[in-house]
Amino acid sequence: MNEHSFTFPLLHNTIGIMTPFLLAATGGLFTELAGMLNIALEGLMLIGAFFSVVFAGLTGSLFVGVLLGIASAMLVAALFGAVSLNLKANVFISGLATNLLASGLTVVLAFQIFGNKGVVRFEIATLPSLSIPALARIPILGDLLIGHNVLVYLSWLIVVLAAVVIYRTPFGLRIRGTGLGAPTITSLGLKPRRYQMAGILISGFTCGLAGAGLTLNLSAFVPNITSGRGWIALVAIYLGNKTPWGIVIASFIFGFAESFSNYAQGATNIPADFILAFPYLLTVLAMIGYSIWRHYRDRA
Amino acid sequence: MSSELYLQMRGITKLYPENNVLANSNVDFDVRDNEIHAVVGENGAGKTTLMKILYGLVQPDSGRILLQQREVQIQSPLDANRLGIGMVHQHFRLIPEFTIAENVVLGTEPRRWGIFFDRDRAINRVEEVIQRYGFTINPRLPVARLTVGQMQLVEIIKILYREAQLLILDEPTSVLTEQQIHKLFVTLENLRAIGKTIVIITHKLGEVKAISQRVTVMRKGEVVAVRDTAEVDERELSRLMVGKSVTFQFEREPVKPGRVVLELREVVLRQKGQDRPLLDRVNLKVHAGEIVGVAGVSGNGLAEVEDVVGGLRRVTEGQLLHDGRDITDLSAVQLRQRGLAYVPADRLHRGSSLQSSVMENMIISSHHDFLRGGVFRQKEVEEFSETLSSSFSIDGDPRMPIGTLSGGNIQKVILARELASNTDFIIFSEPTWGLDVASAEFIYAKILEIRRRGIAVLLISSNLDEILALCDILVVLYRGEVVATLSNEEKLSKELVGEYMMGLRDDGGTQA
Amino acid sequence: MKRTRRVGELFAGTLGLLITLGISFLIAIVLIFLLSKDPLTTIYYFFVGPFTNKYYFGNMLNAAIPLVFTGLGIAVAFKSSVFNLGGEGQVYSGALVATVIMLALPESSGYLGGPVALAAGLATGAVLAGLSGFFKMKWGTDELISSFLISSAVVFIVNYFITGPLDDPGNSMLATYAIGKQYRFLAIFPPSKLDISAVFAILAGVLIFFLMYYTHWGYEMRMCGLNREFSRYGGINVSTFVVLPMIISGALHGLAGAVAIMGTYHVAVKEFSFGMGWNGIAVALIAKNNPLGVLPAAVFFAYLDAGAKAAMLHSDVTFEIAAIVQSVIFYLITAQAIYSFLRYRKRAPS
Repeated sequence: MNEHSFTFPLLHNTIGIMTPFLLAATGGLFTELAGMLNIALEGLMLIGAFFSVVFAGLTGSLFVGVLLGIASAMLVAALFGAVSLNLKANVFISGLATNLLASGLTVVLAFQIFGNKGVVRFEIATLPSLSIPALARIPILGDLLIGHNVLVYLSWLIVVLAAVVIYRTPFGLRIRGTGLGAPTITSLGLKPRRYQMAGILISGFTCGLAGAGLTLNLSAFVPNITSGRGWIALVAIYLGNKTPWGIVIASFIFGFAESFSNYAQGATNIPADFILAFPYLLTVLAMIGYSIWRHYRDRA
Repeated sequence: MSSELYLQMRGITKLYPENNVLANSNVDFDVRDNEIHAVVGENGAGKTTLMKILYGLVQPDSGRILLQQREVQIQSPLDANRLGIGMVHQHFRLIPEFTIAENVVLGTEPRRWGIFFDRDRAINRVEEVIQRYGFTINPRLPVARLTVGQMQLVEIIKILYREAQLLILDEPTSVLTEQQIHKLFVTLENLRAIGKTIVIITHKLGEVKAISQRVTVMRKGEVVAVRDTAEVDERELSRLMVGKSVTFQFEREPVKPGRVVLELREVVLRQKGQDRPLLDRVNLKVHAGEIVGVAGVSGNGLAEVEDVVGGLRRVTEGQLLHDGRDITDLSAVQLRQRGLAYVPADRLHRGSSLQSSVMENMIISSHHDFLRGGVFRQKEVEEFSETLSSSFSIDGDPRMPIGTLSGGNIQKVILARELASNTDFIIFSEPTWGLDVASAEFIYAKILEIRRRGIAVLLISSNLDEILALCDILVVLYRGEVVATLSNEEKLSKELVGEYMMGLRDDGGTQA
Repeated sequence: MKRTRRVGELFAGTLGLLITLGISFLIAIVLIFLLSKDPLTTIYYFFVGPFTNKYYFGNMLNAAIPLVFTGLGIAVAFKSSVFNLGGEGQVYSGALVATVIMLALPESSGYLGGPVALAAGLATGAVLAGLSGFFKMKWGTDELISSFLISSAVVFIVNYFITGPLDDPGNSMLATYAIGKQYRFLAIFPPSKLDISAVFAILAGVLIFFLMYYTHWGYEMRMCGLNREFSRYGGINVSTFVVLPMIISGALHGLAGAVAIMGTYHVAVKEFSFGMGWNGIAVALIAKNNPLGVLPAAVFFAYLDAGAKAAMLHSDVTFEIAAIVQSVIFYLITAQAIYSFLRYRKRAPS
């Protein structure tokens, strides 16, 4: 009985917490499949977080806020893509530049517009929860799946959509082809750069949405609200072996760890910092384990 | 075969500004309807550039293209495809992780409801093409599981799927076995018979004679001759390609071979995923003061022998012996320490570091000799590289990146470096590939010189003239097996060696 | 004639860099005009501020010191084609370990305990990065990601120690006890905080330059970085040169942390070193991975920060404009890299 009252909120929270990871990683997956390293997920998420809550505050509409937040993130993603692809910049460095731009720009604008470098609160509605009775009827998992806000359910839809696009559309075939063999794509008269740019824009879309979820949940913008979630998303892509379902599992693991660190702080004597370090250590161990497995498999 | 011109290229000129190479200089090229037309020339003659222009991968600086007497603009492979031109590249453009059907339809995928990939229809359509042309292959297979010959077939299916009328094949037989080449030629002849027009780029003159009706010879970016194949023989073609007769006659004085320096004993090399071993019980010995040549068609084990002897690949079974001592499990590092010298076929990636200076390239295996307490004696390094440069006639400042030198000079740097070490054994792989005649002759002279000095030489080459002129013993590989070990005392005939290379004989030859 | 070609290339590269920096300054000016109600004052403080008095100037140079070390660390890694993304954790943990040593030896002479502390900080960073290098060598684990992950975890762990067992309740910050006076580096430019570690930084730059271009380790690292296959063919043990550059890179980062404590901070404050690792990457970039270039690059970077700080103090803009200007520099520098690459390619044969 006691365990149940502990595990249930733990798991339920995990589903909410994993959403930004899931969204950002799913978008990042497209760039990864197209053969590009995308470390700008963090910056794109921050842009989405800032502009969605600002526009929501300005227009009073959450929907418009989310839309414009996504648009802003896609704009910055376009910049990132243009510099990396058209100017042939080192994609790692232009990614770093994008993150830097995002963190600087959001604070500068916050200061300029609201005169405040700290937390900026907005008078807006909170994200609506969606009630889907059908979900509640699923055995065992049912109770965990209900009672989340609309963006959580939207993220599930997006993951499914992503899987369909990647594996069942010509666009998905070509984007995978770009990552697996760009010269082949070129010889067919297609342009790998277009597919890479598409991947970047898609990541802008999902990261923007992920960021919107963060700020709209709080009705406030907190500087550096993303605090490393974009990097976690990148790790989730690798941990998930670059597949949509793997990303779901990896995002869950990270979400669980963060949720656990929130709950265990009260429940156990483990210092909070160790719990926060835990997911990273877990991932590094998983990575090493995977490398060892793959190393011996290839040798056999 | 009609005398109607299917394709005319007029006045094609293309200059590559980055390295000031005039790849095509006012080239006129005609192909008759329904013929198989061969384009021959040495490396760098401009054949591939011309075809890339035809296929829309490259834009010419000037010139026109006419297809069936109508002028056309080909800005991209999509245009080429639409005009019925298809190209099979020398290096396959396939995605190993995708299936055959996916590779074939990629770029023109059939769709369901406009957005979904209709995989079933793709498989059916590819199946249709396969059957229409009488091939046998399962479009559901992933390309990674195919043999090289099958992969090439997929490339051909790709262009037939797009209803190509003019097929361009760039060095199609360079990676095929004898059997596969035969199959390919049958396919090409069948395609011609049903009305297709085919252009084949090759440097193998025997194939020109076997398959084509007419041949165009290119040299240094220009067309030097167009002939009916029936009216020209290989020697004349070779002369036209090269421009002057290449003397491959060397003074090879008889040298009494000394001890066995290097031996391969029952060497087997297997690779995961391949049924046939890449090297199958290879035995060979190289004595001091002797040149052992390894000949064969590319893909029959030559590269593997190079990798194994060079220490970059470990054998699955068997032994390598140096002076009688087992060196089978030694790493490249250790082999170098034992004095192995090695001039690799891949000059630019394995043999040198293009962005480093000539000096830094020269000391890669010997840099320990220039240290005092871990620090380089700069002056000594400079003197060393300058000495080497002058004795090998290498122009340029040794401090410049080696990538700025010509191919011939890069090879000379590699040669100079390898010969500078105190070695009793050296392996050469494709030493004059892509080089101009003067550099090639220089290298031949050096090879003979070290033979005189009593060094054991292993010479791997797909250039039969070169190998026959230089070697004392010739080993022929076919499908990873030694099918002949021949003595070259009485100059061997190309025909005989060719038969071994093509797998037509495997009696082992006369032991030397 | 070949000499002038090389000079020409060098000039083109430098010219490109100057153009990049020039454009970045222009953007800074535009930003200031957009954001400030008194743009001319702001511009003055942004560009000239750091030079106006000893305090600002010295502090600017002081801020450059850790960046020299981390910049060198990244330069060594990049030149060897390995990626050390764990700089933040390596600096932070190096600082902590050095602090712990010094706190554990309160009576010892500064000349004895000091080097021990520095060595300990160096070793900490070396071990952390070396781990990633080892995993890469043994099992092919991507060192970029593993070093990042390890570093992220380490930051949390160090946070715990600073805010927990080592926290000094006497000071009002989340920070450890202060290190003994004998360990603190001499201030050489009062009233600024510039201390003698500036000399160490310059020495480090020269030493690493010497290492990379005049010793056999440096040669082997650079060759492996440029062409691994060629190096293996030539008899270099390439697997060693996945681990060694990481160890050196980590060591330099750990040293940065230890030096920062002994020179400037004297206490390990929670997350005091945040940014030193990331900025090291920027510095190495601007310096094009040339160890000697890291010195001016670090100063330039510190100058940007100092200018923004001065502008913030004396005018009405926020410090974060520096971040925007920095990101523009990043964008331009990588794009600029193509420019000099193109100049080089013009000469190379196909």
